[in-house]
Amino acid sequence: METVSVLSDIQPAVETAPADRQDFASPPQPAILPLSGSEALMRSLLAEGVDTIFGYPGGAIMPVYDALYDYQDRINHILVRHEQGAGHAAQGYARMQGRAGVCLVTSGPGATNLVTAIADALIDSTPMVCIVGQVAKRLLGTDAFQEADVMGVTMPITKWNYQITNADEVPEVISKAFYIAQSGRPGPVLIDITKSAQLELMTRPFHYECCQSIISYRPRLVPKTEQLEAAAKLINGAKRPYMLVGHGVQIAKAEDELRQFAEKTGIPVATTLLGQSTISTGHPLYVGWLGMHGNYGPNVLTDQADVIIAVGMRFDDRVTGDASKYIRQAKVVHIEIDPAEIDKIIRADAPVVGDAKAALKALLPLVNANDHTVWRNEFRKYDAIEHEKITVPSLSGDSEKIQMGEVIDLLSKKTNGEAVLVTDVGQHQMMASRYYKFQRPNSLVTSGGMGTMGFALPAAFGAQVAAPDRTVVAIIGDGCFQMTLQELGTIVQNKQPVKAIILNNNFLGMVRQWQQLFHQRRYSFVELQNPDFVTIAKGFGMDGHTCADRTTLAESLDTLLAHDGPYLLEVIVEKEENVFPMVPAGASVAQIRLS
Amino acid sequence: MTTYTICVFTSNTIGLLNRITIVFTRRRINIESLTVSETERKGVSRFTIVIKHESREEVEKLVRQIRKIVEVMAVFGYLNDEIVYNEIALFKISTPLGAKPLDVETINKEYKAWVVYWGLDYVVIEKTGVEAEIFDFFQFLRHQHEILEFVRSGRVAVGKTEKGLVEYLPEAEWAYYL
Repeated sequence: METVSVLSDIQPAVETAPADRQDFASPPQPAILPLSGSEALMRSLLAEGVDTIFGYPGGAIMPVYDALYDYQDRINHILVRHEQGAGHAAQGYARMQGRAGVCLVTSGPGATNLVTAIADALIDSTPMVCIVGQVAKRLLGTDAFQEADVMGVTMPITKWNYQITNADEVPEVISKAFYIAQSGRPGPVLIDITKSAQLELMTRPFHYECCQSIISYRPRLVPKTEQLEAAAKLINGAKRPYMLVGHGVQIAKAEDELRQFAEKTGIPVATTLLGQSTISTGHPLYVGWLGMHGNYGPNVLTDQADVIIAVGMRFDDRVTGDASKYIRQAKVVHIEIDPAEIDKIIRADAPVVGDAKAALKALLPLVNANDHTVWRNEFRKYDAIEHEKITVPSLSGDSEKIQMGEVIDLLSKKTNGEAVLVTDVGQHQMMASRYYKFQRPNSLVTSGGMGTMGFALPAAFGAQVAAPDRTVVAIIGDGCFQMTLQELGTIVQNKQPVKAIILNNNFLGMVRQWQQLFHQRRYSFVELQNPDFVTIAKGFGMDGHTCADRTTLAESLDTLLAHDGPYLLEVIVEKEENVFPMVPAGASVAQIRLS
Repeated sequence: MTTYTICVFTSNTIGLLNRITIVFTRRRINIESLTVSETERKGVSRFTIVIKHESREEVEKLVRQIRKIVEVMAVFGYLNDEIVYNEIALFKISTPLGAKPLDVETINKEYKAWVVYWGLDYVVIEKTGVEAEIFDFFQFLRHQHEILEFVRSGRVAVGKTEKGLVEYLPEAEWAYYL
């Protein structure tokens, strides 16, 4: 491992072996003595610049919490209400900060409760370092109290995981964990640390070096010249080129490079769900978003482009529909940092392996200036159809009950498209993406690949902690809210001014929509008997109110946004509204339905 | 179905076997054989994994997914004609007093197999070769003697070419492990 030293203590080497200790709380240690594993962990986290941890204490992580007590002034530990909340909050934090969110939980159920968030972070490439307590080394494999094979459980859903059984390992493993989580294609890393390793003393002085590379792990950041030249040749020869932009651009902080590239080449830009807000929705080259509930033109015209430039996206099935019928006509330039994504779903004619920022920057001088006016105007024709058939009726205010789109549209106007939207999963998520006009980069935090209900409330909290100067609005469904509503307590306790909007239709709306369209309206277990959400919020100490009448919607949103502190607004929306356009599962994108 | 031999070089880490096999099980690909041992480089293990698959393209994707694992240094995918490969088999043959004597000459000369252990009323014969050769020898023995135990290892293989399919580890980087 090549390393760079950032922290080194002047402590004498200690020759004594680690003491054979019982699992008692670690005694206070004068600075000159060798550090315990827990103390070493604290110092390692500080060396990585960690200032915020989302966590929940328990038996097997207590020595670490004991050490944390002495670091409260430097590390802000946020006590969540459930470990899943810690995971999603860390994800929200990481997405806004662009560096790893950190979770600290206990063994067994503490760790398994974190599993959903870890899987979510892996598929959406979110950097996260999860530190998990484990039973003492001598108890491993004995089915001890709160022992679970967390290494085995999380192996398929982490970028890397490691079990620390010896205090001496702490600094090197933590530095590797942060390096792996944050470099290349980011992802979650889990460190399982035995209670004995937390308690025992290191046998050598604490010394921390930031990991810079690992022999077997070398993400390519700068693409190869020949790949760039091949890509530029295809782009320069294209008559109907089209850019599909994913989350990778945001991760690489390549928004400016993307805009410059699009403006020089005149190529229309569509985004995936997670790629939204990468380019302002008002930009003349932005044509909309792709996928199952994306816009009409961007989906249909994917099948008419002659060159597709896919940047930082992985051709998810929600984007491609039936992949066997997807862009058969086009040559594909695929800019992607993860070589395993090249040719995984769609064969690339010109793969460019590297970081989106480096790739777009290097491509810019190689591509010709152009404007593709005729081709770009094609999108406008489809826009007009979609506007007339879907947008106008959705926002007309003609229905008896408020429609979801109206709420988002009004919110967009009232926040000038500058808020951070954190959405849950379902119809409200799609409506938020359809009707919010994002003006600033990094403004949508949502669970894309996993589709995790319950994501929004804790993730919004984490996002707000990471971006205290921005207005963070969580858009949540009534079903989703009930999966992690206990995190209202975390929000209130930490005085974070998260604005939560529940779009309540008393249904698991997206499932109901599918049952309506594809299962002959057999509404199998999708209707919810909901509690009084506002009373619940007030029980947690959060203000809120319910809006059921269109005439008070604007005022309700004003109240929400103007409130000093967290606020919950429940909006009673139409019960059986559907999200269109829609590419039915397994259909090709050209078969997108408007009704 | 085509047989592919996938050689994976990794750092020697607890749990890595699991992480590698998950790549196969997630894609519902059966592992025909798997052998692992430390290489001549300290701390570097070599996995030799044999699978059967209809699509070379899918195997290449699989190789890339294996390469993605942090501790994996290099992955080579090979077709049979691109490698020199062998297995080892052990046969425990019943040889009680009065039974048909062992035809050692045929075993040695024709089948290139060797008796490696003489028990009181049994012998253990070692045979190396490819799968077909081992089963050919199995048929021969079965007609002559009672086979008490039979075991064969997974395939071990080395590439005929300097580099394998997809990836190779630059020689200079081996120095790190010497």
